[in-house]
Amino acid sequence: MKRLQKINIASILKQIKAEGVSMRRRFVLYIISAIALVLSLILLLLNLFGVMNPTNARVMEVLDTQLLSYTDYIEHDYNKAAAHALSFSDQIEATLEHFLVDNNLTFEDLKNNTEALSALQLELYNTVYLNMQLAPSSGAFYILDTTVNGQSDPQLYNGIYLKYINLYSESTVNNEIALYRGSFSTGKEGNLTFHSGWSNEMRTDFFNNCESEFTKGTYYILSPTVDIPDTWERARYVYTPIRDARDNIIGVCGFEINDLYFQLSKKANDSKLGQLVGALLDEKSEGFAGQFNSNRYNMPSSESVKVSRQNDATVFDFGTEKCIGKTQSIKLGNHTFTVALMMIESQYNAQIRQGQMKTASIILFVVLFAFAYCLFMSKKYVSPILKKIDQVKCSGDHGDQLRIREIDDLFEYLARRNVAYEEQLQSLQAAKQAAEEEAQRTKLAYEKALEEYELAQNEILHLIEDQKKKIVLEDYDFFICNLKTLTPTESRIYELYLEGKTAQEIAAILGIQENTMKYHNKNIYGKLGVSSRKQLLRFAALKQQQDKKGDPNT
Amino acid sequence: MKRIASLLCFVILLTCFSGCKQSSTVLSPENPVTLTMWHVYGSQTKSPLNDVINEFNQTVGKEKGITINVESVTSSSAIDKALSASANGEPGADTMPDLFTAYPRVVELIGKERLLSWDDYFSEKELSCFYKDFLLEGYFGEELLMLPVAKSAEALYLNKTLFDRFSTATGISVDDLNTFDQVFDTARKYYDWSNGQNFMQINDYYNYAYVGMKANGSELIRNGRLRLDDDAFKTIWIPLAETAIYGGICLEDGYAAARWKTVEIIANTGSTADVLYQPDEVIYADNTTEAIESIALPYPTFTDNTVGVIYRGGGLFAVKNSDERKNQAAYILAKWLTEKDHNLDFVTNAGYLPVTTEAFDALFSDFSIIEKESYRSVYRAVDTMLEDYSFYALPLYDGASGIQLNFEKNVKAVLSSAHNQYVKRVANGEDPDKVLNELVESSLTELKALSTE
Repeated sequence: MKRLQKINIASILKQIKAEGVSMRRRFVLYIISAIALVLSLILLLLNLFGVMNPTNARVMEVLDTQLLSYTDYIEHDYNKAAAHALSFSDQIEATLEHFLVDNNLTFEDLKNNTEALSALQLELYNTVYLNMQLAPSSGAFYILDTTVNGQSDPQLYNGIYLKYINLYSESTVNNEIALYRGSFSTGKEGNLTFHSGWSNEMRTDFFNNCESEFTKGTYYILSPTVDIPDTWERARYVYTPIRDARDNIIGVCGFEINDLYFQLSKKANDSKLGQLVGALLDEKSEGFAGQFNSNRYNMPSSESVKVSRQNDATVFDFGTEKCIGKTQSIKLGNHTFTVALMMIESQYNAQIRQGQMKTASIILFVVLFAFAYCLFMSKKYVSPILKKIDQVKCSGDHGDQLRIREIDDLFEYLARRNVAYEEQLQSLQAAKQAAEEEAQRTKLAYEKALEEYELAQNEILHLIEDQKKKIVLEDYDFFICNLKTLTPTESRIYELYLEGKTAQEIAAILGIQENTMKYHNKNIYGKLGVSSRKQLLRFAALKQQQDKKGDPNT
Repeated sequence: MKRIASLLCFVILLTCFSGCKQSSTVLSPENPVTLTMWHVYGSQTKSPLNDVINEFNQTVGKEKGITINVESVTSSSAIDKALSASANGEPGADTMPDLFTAYPRVVELIGKERLLSWDDYFSEKELSCFYKDFLLEGYFGEELLMLPVAKSAEALYLNKTLFDRFSTATGISVDDLNTFDQVFDTARKYYDWSNGQNFMQINDYYNYAYVGMKANGSELIRNGRLRLDDDAFKTIWIPLAETAIYGGICLEDGYAAARWKTVEIIANTGSTADVLYQPDEVIYADNTTEAIESIALPYPTFTDNTVGVIYRGGGLFAVKNSDERKNQAAYILAKWLTEKDHNLDFVTNAGYLPVTTEAFDALFSDFSIIEKESYRSVYRAVDTMLEDYSFYALPLYDGASGIQLNFEKNVKAVLSSAHNQYVKRVANGEDPDKVLNELVESSLTELKALSTE
């Protein structure tokens, strides 16, 4: 098929070459070529100066920029929470120290001492409350490595954990507070709403590896995302150690950043790409898990999102849908986390398609524009010329001027040439007529001469014929006269000739040699005055006709 | 021919340029919208509506490009306050959400012109599937602004584990909790038996008064005003005041569930949806815990003749948006949420009643679809009430919200003050009965005085 097309195109080109290209076609080709050239140059320049990038590159560029600012924002916010946590810890340490001194107690004396622990909570409640108001968080807590019930299994830890009941936005100014963990008396004294998952003390794994982590010189820890017991929430914790006067770690304090607070406070800026999903993720063996700024993607702590690479982007596979985005590592506390910014795959694909459509539309538009421009130019420029040419062809009338100076000059020149040509034609026609009359006259003279020549020719032929007849009669008379001079053998041979035998047959009949036969023949021919057997037979035939009619002159 | 060619070019160009920019009025996963939502259906421990919305986000939402971002699960009064602040542009107020659940009273707070009229989106056929009474509550004039997604009735909750101990000691059984007279009598006896513990909390005194007045052939509200001078009100006030002043009723603000947990009370009247907050265990001061069994009983009656109960008329509102896709998305969520299976999935995990007749019939013909016994107990109580009780929606009138809130506040303040006086005066050696009668009388006078301020 391709070959066929090639042949066709080749033959068409050949034909065009042979026939030439019409003015209109040539004009359209030149205009389209010029526009295509200009367009190509523009595209090349735009591409060179980075104004026009492929959509995918543009999307990635926007994601890169947004990710950079989003990462800065996350880092700033968590560092702020960490700074508050450090200050919070200092305040608790100071209050605790005063409390123990004032009550003449050691930290160890607090264990199983319900009254002292409740009193301590009342002392520390305002510190927790105020720090919670100041820090970017959804809750605040302090936990001490002591309990009102040392017999409890699993081990419990005493402290206060406050949470905002209602979160609407990043601003937590007007939000009500609930007591999630803390003594009943703390709740009553503070006139607090008890969280529906409230308990007196807490089970916690905050102290797992806590000492070793903090002795490495880490100021604070940002925990992985964990389910908050007795709630439907998940959260990260920013926490710092609480130390006693001997620098032993006796507790931790910090802030809760639950999924909802993360959603409300860590919104990604709206970009040209539409809504972006931001996340702070922990790397797990089977993928990533963490907090997303859209609750559509938050998943139980036990699950994780699978991640793969696609060119320079990262594909997040949530099972039910995929997102495409960028990631960046960030160190918060003692751990490295991944900040991600992504868009839904269908949204990404739509962006790409939109870009492709734009490019295709521009090209199509330019082509259509070129086509329309050619039509317009052809109508305004080529058509009048062609029309004029047709007019000139049909009627020879040049009609009105085209108002195209060169073309009008051309037609004027052609008109002048036409007049000169007409005059030349007329003189040539007159000369032609004179020549024709001369030729007629010459022809008649020639025909007369030819007739005379033919008459003379016939006369010559007649004379020649007469001469010929005269010569033949003389030879025949000699033949007849000398027949009698033939020897018997020669007569016999003569007879056999008359019977139609050949020389060889006669030699065989007579039993003579070929040479003998030739000898006889020579004698016969000499005697009869003939030069050939053919002449011999003709004269013999004449004699036989004469013999039959009895008149030798017939 | 030339005209056709020109037309063809025009159409091609138009198609090209229309393809350049995604239409902004059509919902699509390629151009998704996110709706923010505040609602009341859940506690800090569990939110059945969030679970259902997660399912929506993963299915229909994903298909159509809609994400519902629940930004707050809170109380209706907190939503009222935040919406009002937002509507009035108060400094620090939050941006109004795209969707929220609230009681009809919210319309006067934020103005109906801000709200989406559901009947512009739901067809008549679709609306005919709703339980008619539930739907009628949502009409404000000709516009359906509040779409019912779940309704609740009132019931009496009882910590059966602790009540059984009291029952063993006093002989008072669960069967003695059918009428308010019986309940108040039990409350006083429990107060004595427990050395001064409250027996119960009444979550809505307004509801108590509304149903009580109806039962006594009168009305609490007439022409937008409380009728506390009516004899019927005195009839229902006296047993309540006697018990509260004596000490059988907790008069503090806050949720009953927290008091259950710390054994401050062992019963309360409240919404069927309170089952969501009922704790499975109680915690004593020494940090020990005890698992408990909770049951729900029909709302106590006032008289034998006219028994009734309030059903609560909250519903879903959508804020009118200039982006039509958001209005469409709100409709798609609302429709999905009120379809039988999704509605049942949501309400039966939250102690609510479904809103379509189909879902209603399905629920009350088969309780086996309810997983937890405490929830089955609630629906059994509702089933009993469906047979014998009249269901009342609270009337909506100008200033209803304020009158209701003030009434609650005043009742608690008056009775709490009276209780404190009672304790003090009895401790000072005065005759308890005489003091009680005196305080009951004065409390009513005081309440009337406060209500007319």
